[in-house]
Amino acid sequence: MAHTVVLLCRCFGEIDGVVDLDGIAGRLREQKQDMSVYLLDSLCQEDDGPKIETLLREEKAREVVAALCAGDRGYHPLRNALRKAGIGPSGHATVDLREGCAWVHRSDPAGATEKALDLVSMALAALAEKEPSRDVTTAVHPSCAILGAGPAGLAAAAALAGQGIHVHLLDRADRPGGMLNLISKIYPEDDDGKSRIDPFVREVEANERITFHPRSRVTAATGFAGNFRITAEGPDGPFRFRAGAVIIATGAGIFLPRGLYRYGELKEVITQIELERQWIRGTPEKKRFAFIQCVGARSSERPYCSTICCPSSLKNAMRVVAEVPGGEATVFHRDIMTPGSVLEEYYRRTMEKGVQFVRFREDDPPEILGEKAVEAVRVRDAGSGKEHVLPVETVVLSTPLVPNRDNGALSALFRVGLDSHGFFSETYPLHPLETRLDGIFIAGSARWPVSSEKAVEQGQGAAMKALALLGRDRISALSLSRTPEEKPGHGTVAENACTGCGNCVAVCPFEACALQERDGGRFVSRVNKMRCKACGSCVSVCPNGTMQIPEHNYRVTAAMIRRSFSA
Amino acid sequence: MNAEKNKQGLQGGEKKGKAGAPSPKILVFACRWCGGIGAGRAGWKRMDLPVSFRVIPVECAALVEPDAIFRALASGIDGVAVLGCHIGGCRYNEANHAALKRLELVKVLLDTAGIGGRRLLLAFGTAHEDHQFAEVIRNFHEFIGKEPSLKPWLGAGEDIFLRREE
Amino acid sequence: MALSINPGIPGDPSMAVLVVGGGVAGILAALDLARAGRPVTLVERSQRLGGQVARLDKIYPTDHCAFCPLWTDIRNCLEHPGITVLSSTTVRKLERTGDRWAVRILREPPFIEERLCIFCGRCESACPERAVLPLLDQAYPPVYRIDGNRCTRCGRCEPVCPTKAIDFNRKTVEERIVVQEILWAAGFQDGDYKPLPEYGYGTHRDIMTALEFEEWTAESGPNGGRILRRSDLQEPSRVAFIQCAGARDLRNLSYCSAVCCMHALKQAAWVKRRKEDIDCTIFYTDLRAVGRGYFKYSMNNVPGGPLRLIRGRPGLVVALPGGGIAVTYEDTLKQERRIERFDVVVLNGNLKPSLNMEGVPGTPSLDGEGFVDTAVGFGCGFAVEPADIMDAAVQAASVSMRILGRENT
Repeated sequence: MAHTVVLLCRCFGEIDGVVDLDGIAGRLREQKQDMSVYLLDSLCQEDDGPKIETLLREEKAREVVAALCAGDRGYHPLRNALRKAGIGPSGHATVDLREGCAWVHRSDPAGATEKALDLVSMALAALAEKEPSRDVTTAVHPSCAILGAGPAGLAAAAALAGQGIHVHLLDRADRPGGMLNLISKIYPEDDDGKSRIDPFVREVEANERITFHPRSRVTAATGFAGNFRITAEGPDGPFRFRAGAVIIATGAGIFLPRGLYRYGELKEVITQIELERQWIRGTPEKKRFAFIQCVGARSSERPYCSTICCPSSLKNAMRVVAEVPGGEATVFHRDIMTPGSVLEEYYRRTMEKGVQFVRFREDDPPEILGEKAVEAVRVRDAGSGKEHVLPVETVVLSTPLVPNRDNGALSALFRVGLDSHGFFSETYPLHPLETRLDGIFIAGSARWPVSSEKAVEQGQGAAMKALALLGRDRISALSLSRTPEEKPGHGTVAENACTGCGNCVAVCPFEACALQERDGGRFVSRVNKMRCKACGSCVSVCPNGTMQIPEHNYRVTAAMIRRSFSA
Repeated sequence: MNAEKNKQGLQGGEKKGKAGAPSPKILVFACRWCGGIGAGRAGWKRMDLPVSFRVIPVECAALVEPDAIFRALASGIDGVAVLGCHIGGCRYNEANHAALKRLELVKVLLDTAGIGGRRLLLAFGTAHEDHQFAEVIRNFHEFIGKEPSLKPWLGAGEDIFLRREE
Repeated sequence: MALSINPGIPGDPSMAVLVVGGGVAGILAALDLARAGRPVTLVERSQRLGGQVARLDKIYPTDHCAFCPLWTDIRNCLEHPGITVLSSTTVRKLERTGDRWAVRILREPPFIEERLCIFCGRCESACPERAVLPLLDQAYPPVYRIDGNRCTRCGRCEPVCPTKAIDFNRKTVEERIVVQEILWAAGFQDGDYKPLPEYGYGTHRDIMTALEFEEWTAESGPNGGRILRRSDLQEPSRVAFIQCAGARDLRNLSYCSAVCCMHALKQAAWVKRRKEDIDCTIFYTDLRAVGRGYFKYSMNNVPGGPLRLIRGRPGLVVALPGGGIAVTYEDTLKQERRIERFDVVVLNGNLKPSLNMEGVPGTPSLDGEGFVDTAVGFGCGFAVEPADIMDAAVQAASVSMRILGRENT
């Protein structure tokens, strides 16, 4: 019989001014022999912690019920005292008698007292049925799999390798750099595309900790945070490796605007990337440029802004004016998307350099004129309402980045989510680089269209998040919580009663359940404790109560229900 | 303070609230996050609420088993409320999405069984402010108060529930 | 993600980092650094962590409460053994000593000591001046606060406090700490509207900044989420949101504040959700809905019909003698000049970086608009350039990684 201690907090009169704690203490002492009931003025003041710890040790307490305010005071001395006295989460229960009772029932002290007694009884009954979950620990493999060697992946690789982590850097192409290999100059500093990534590429080549796998892609992935097992296919066949964390930085594709603005029909109608190719070869010959924004973007088919097209057009427009003798540039747009201070200043600079801007309405886009070649652009200027015909020689179309075609397959492989457009998505706004599963991170345009500068930032950020995991030798399952405390337990299966229905497998939001074969061809569910977050979904869908969270199993709930209304 | 009135409370007796108003028994499962935060805030504001509800805190509304709801209604509790986070806001990925669908199904089963799905209140993301929590509790309390009392029928189906407890 | 309770790699005190600013940017950076083994001192000049995001009712694009996601990380920050949080603290002096920084910080403890306050409210009841109010912003844990301006030092609250948490004689504490790096994450605040009298700020109770409107209409605010006029507590029928009021304006702030277009769309959507027949008009220059889901958000169907989006920056906002507010503008897409009457006008755009180190020796390098120059210092969030929550979170992680990387150079 465990010795039970009940701590009733008066909260300096806030609770016992309404609730008759002395009466409750009396009733409790009558009920259970092996129980000590204490009334204390407070449980939260600085010297309360050691006081409570001493008390619990002297009582040789095994179970504790604490009735106090709604608690949740991070510094709460009670939690420390419990821990120091050796009482784990399955050995204590707290009851809110202040916000949940005394403070909302001041007009009915008798009713409040009865309710308080019921709440404490419920906690005692729950405690009798609580059981501890078994924790497991795993070694963390000090390596990271980075998919994609564009600016995001390269920055992540360099950052992690610099911290002593081994990196497997995979890319579809045979050299690193991603889309930056196609870009001539980068805004806003007008750096050379190559010079931006050269330091990272050098790091990849020089640092022994980074293994670059060209022309490779992942074909299978199993495991969990700290211990992923990746299978990939490379030019020499399949290969396998382990990684403690995964960063998905596979970038994005470019939308080809076939059929829009006579692209494909007239050879002087080109995309931004094709213009970049021209710059790499040398100064373009044509002088009069038209840049058209939002081609195939911010539309019903692709209802998003691709972030980088406006700054890219501004960069190229300025370049035309500065580097092409007699060069002229006009930007046709629906809005100029240069938020912030750096980009807004870039926009102003572009105007100062003599680039022209014409706004058009979404329902009245510009028209490309010319029979065999581009001759002019006809547009209705939304600002004046008047129609203009501008003679131009080259039309550059700003098209959006689009999700890679195999994002779906990759997301299914790792079981992370995609947003409605098909880009890899995060779960919480404050954690934009973290996916729904621990240990798998996202960065760069695979996540959402970004400039190479921001992609580098995200790569470094994802590396930082991964480092919190990879810097440890071991992690315990109970520490991988979604809350500021330890997990309250994990899902536990009573194997002999499991029918192998698979409901838990289907419903688990963390992919923690899986069916395993046993002797005789039976299938039973097994919970991966590292993945489980103890949300309880599996418990609710289990047809015969086999799956439970020991700290809040069905007997706990049943006992609480039985004691909820004593009278 | 109010020592006499308090002592009265512990003597048990007829289940009546103040001035003899009906006192339906309501069990509230509240998740720790959006579900339970409103309760705490209502406390800070010292809002006046009927006494006849009891809260069982859970980590996530997904933990509330259909069985628990049936058991509660079978043991003489008149109404059950499940407070969870709004859709898209659960910190356990999509756990509350499935939970809500499941509990809607439980409502249908309760209707079919003649107990009444209206005795199960689902408030996902609508009770996280103090006045919202108070409104949910008061309205449900008033509504259930008008329903006929459910006589405990646990005796009849006890063995079903006991099996779950093994 | 997880790993919240595990302190990570043990810290080396000589590699400490000072994070200035306890908003989203500072909190997340502190956590990243601490989890990688760096001891962190986080200083915040107000009494609570959370910064501007904690004052928000809802955040875009999820339309969820700002509180819940932030609360978890605030708590992680307060409980992490490697992070020392010093609230009510400012930086007073910076000095280079070798390859380290010696920083003089000043703590001005509040009259009510947070660790002792049990939130009973007896002080509030005892105060004749309504100078004691609950500090619920970030609500973790909630405590009471004495407004030094309203307080007359009558002392009636002191004896009623059961934990003796009130002390009017608290001394300011000055401390000198030595750190390896300083990370500036001081965020932003509302700018002054005095240089911009055409927006009428201060001439009518219903001309407000976006943050003021947010607090006024918050679900947990003074009106429980109802949309009311501040002037007479009646329901408005027409609300105007003016974008770029003070921003993208060479007389005031030349930059774009980045967050306001989405913020106005969010506020307008919530006004419609709370009362769908309130007419909402957004006057914009460029509708900068750029991030994930933002453009779709701007197309969202809101209850009661679409938002009115008018391209034009109003030239004059005038309080009308008979009540209401007149807004003069040009609808540039129709080339029409109009004057319209609104009940409430919300001004967006005038957001300035908060870091004010005037008179502080050793000031970090700030550019002309008050942003931290990252060529010479570390920073993240609005302190560096206009940023929303997502941007600040990415930058916090990125700059933390770069700080860690410094030890190898």
